[in-house]
Amino acid sequence: MYLLEIKDLNKKYGNKKILENINLKVKTGINLGLIGPTGCGKTTLLRLIDLLENPTSGKIIFDGINTSYSKKDKLQIRRRMGMVFQKPLTFKGTVFHNVAYGLKIRGENKDQVQEKVYRNLELLGMDEYAERNAASLSGGETQRMALARVLVTEPDLLLLDEPTSNLDPLSREKIEELILQLKKENKTTIIMTTHDLIQGQQLSDEIVILNHKIFQIGKPEEIFRKPQNQFVADFVGVKNVIQGQAILTSEKLTMIKKGNITLYSSEKGNGKVFASIRPEDISLSLEKLDNSSLNKLKGNVIQIEDVGAIIHLKVKVDSEIFTVYMTRKSFLDMNISIGETLWLEFKATGVHLFQ
Amino acid sequence: MSEIIEGIYQAINLILTLNPEMLEITLRTIYISLSSTLFATIIGVPLGGLINFKTFKGKRGLVNIIQTLYSVPTVLVGLFVFLLISRAGILGELNLLFTPTGMILCQTILIMPILVGFTINALSGVEKNIEDLAMSLGANQFQTIYTIMKEAKYALMGAVILGFGRAISEVGVALLIGGNIRGFTRVITTTISLETSRGNIALSVALGIILMLIALVINLILNIIQEK
Repeated sequence: MYLLEIKDLNKKYGNKKILENINLKVKTGINLGLIGPTGCGKTTLLRLIDLLENPTSGKIIFDGINTSYSKKDKLQIRRRMGMVFQKPLTFKGTVFHNVAYGLKIRGENKDQVQEKVYRNLELLGMDEYAERNAASLSGGETQRMALARVLVTEPDLLLLDEPTSNLDPLSREKIEELILQLKKENKTTIIMTTHDLIQGQQLSDEIVILNHKIFQIGKPEEIFRKPQNQFVADFVGVKNVIQGQAILTSEKLTMIKKGNITLYSSEKGNGKVFASIRPEDISLSLEKLDNSSLNKLKGNVIQIEDVGAIIHLKVKVDSEIFTVYMTRKSFLDMNISIGETLWLEFKATGVHLFQ
Repeated sequence: MSEIIEGIYQAINLILTLNPEMLEITLRTIYISLSSTLFATIIGVPLGGLINFKTFKGKRGLVNIIQTLYSVPTVLVGLFVFLLISRAGILGELNLLFTPTGMILCQTILIMPILVGFTINALSGVEKNIEDLAMSLGANQFQTIYTIMKEAKYALMGAVILGFGRAISEVGVALLIGGNIRGFTRVITTTISLETSRGNIALSVALGIILMLIALVINLILNIIQEK
């Protein structure tokens, strides 16, 4: 069952297209990470989902209800969601007053409000802050209060806009912990924007890569291992991307040619394709080895970067430059220096193809 | 100088002895200015809210006109209302001329621009995102507006205090519409005006001091309300 469905959604401000042709289905109970560069339309998408803005065209369907109808429906739907804004605001008054707001507006009785507010403040380690003036809180405390203010209303859908950006490490950790806890409980569906890939990967069940359009939707490992296009590859920092001509040679093998380089991939491809090889999938040797790896390339070391236990090498093969990682130990064992000729080897299953 | 000192003595004397005429004039002054402030607030604040929250053509121009009306001379408003409620006027049949009700009507009109204009200022000073925040937490339209008003309550209270100040201190409307009838429409400002022209400077000073004391007390009360 999908809690949220977005169909052919477009949003323009004047002539400026902010979101183009967004189609998205969000299953109940999952954590969805919306990842993209700054200004890619993440916040706008969250605001549209929260019904704070109207789309230029397209539909947002929440729990089977088309949200573009009456104001009253919108209010009822909005009351089932909660959003934490990137720059959290406070109402004048105490922390308690702030957190109680959503409950009071829903007309809950005093005892219930009291109990729920304290329970949620405690959850965020803020029960001692209840009677404090909300305006006096630090950035991290304000963000935690904002989260409590939303959680207290027990939303079916929680929208978090960059929940940990600009936070101190302690607050960040607390919020991440809480998101993971919510994820475990599986009750609340969460859509969270972030520009931090690692955070997105750790906290999400599914990731959407957004830059005005959706470039890819998938599980975190799919996004990182198998980017579907150049934008995602660049954005997630995929190394060793080579553009070439692909020919399907057999049922299970594609040959990719670029200049004097020939690569083999176990994925299907034809015509112009991009091939990517993760640096950790490439092994190095001084001699050409006789093993099952289909891809064997000869190149020269042009750069050695020492980043602690792992050494990053740049190896030039024909006109392409490959990034390869090796441990400090094998680097020292092999006694590699700049200009050295090396063999790069990797399996056909390690060559990922995308358009 | 001696008149001022004598005025202070007289003021103390008038207050301590609870001079009946002084008491009556004082109560009437408070009654008329508080009533007009109340009416202007009841009409002006929602009107200001409406202007602030709606977008329409000519909004800027309207706000400019409202702000210009802050400084409209009181006698001009008095004259306008005079024409309205005098025997030959549209509201002539209501017999409001030279009555406290007429004075309240006129002062309400006089301070309305202050209430409307300062409400617009106060509300536009609330961060735009507060509206989103309230809505996103589930507030309906009425609750959202109420929340924004609450956020702006200090500035709104300021508008009320300013309106009250203009009402209690003005003399043009009180004279023109009230007529300074002893025991009926006489208020502190018109009494000061009259007594000064009669040469009773000390009494005028005394009344002036009492007027200032009323303003002080009312402001203190409003401040206490504001703190809550």
